Amino acid sequence: MTGMEEYNTGSESSFNSEEADSIVKECIESVVGVDDYSQNLVNKWTAGIVERCLTQLVKQGKTYKYIVTCAVMQKTGAGLHTANSCYWDTAMDGSSTVRWENRTMYCVVSVFAVAVA
Amino acid sequence: MDEYQTEEETAFVVEEVTKIIKESVEAAIGGNAYQHNRVNHWTTSVVEQCLSQLSKLGKPFKYIVTCIIMQKNGAGLQTASTCFWDNSTDGSCAVRWENKSMYCIVSVFGLAI
Repeated sequence: MTGMEEYNTGSESSFNSEEADSIVKECIESVVGVDDYSQNLVNKWTAGIVERCLTQLVKQGKTYKYIVTCAVMQKTGAGLHTANSCYWDTAMDGSSTVRWENRTMYCVVSVFAVAVA
Repeated sequence: MDEYQTEEETAFVVEEVTKIIKESVEAAIGGNAYQHNRVNHWTTSVVEQCLSQLSKLGKPFKYIVTCIIMQKNGAGLQTASTCFWDNSTDGSCAVRWENKSMYCIVSVFGLAI
């Protein structure tokens, strides 16, 4: 599908994954930081992390739709494996995944940014 | 009448996608027990199979498929997701599957073009 389209400057029309990485790290640190895994609080943490990340990403003001997912797992020696696959416009859309851990838990946050036509 | 049909063809249908996910998971890891050296291959195969079935639907959507496989050993796992999109056209669905030795959580997000 071709047509006359505006050419936006590179930095505005592609996803900056380093910037997203640092936003996500800051959000995880501020919500979970040094806490130990707690079954009562984990619900609040995952919700808090995704909401905070989303707010920070939207503040960037870019014309993107965002999906933020977060998984928090207690460290007990269990194996955990995650995979993502995306069917989109590889020129404009992008994703970034941050793996974080402390003494008692792992946290994996993925951000997907899909350009709005 | 035409308008109604168009809406069905271009909407994110949760039941349809749920069915695709369940079939893909069964086909990829069906009767298997958790194995550390195979789980990499399993997660990849679940997401790829889901994605190819979804794109075959021919709807004007971009898709994101995520899959988590976790060994059952008593650990707690919590996942959350949040989306900034167009509520009227976009949608998501998540399927939790398990067998004796592992849990598998697959999420599909569909964003209208």
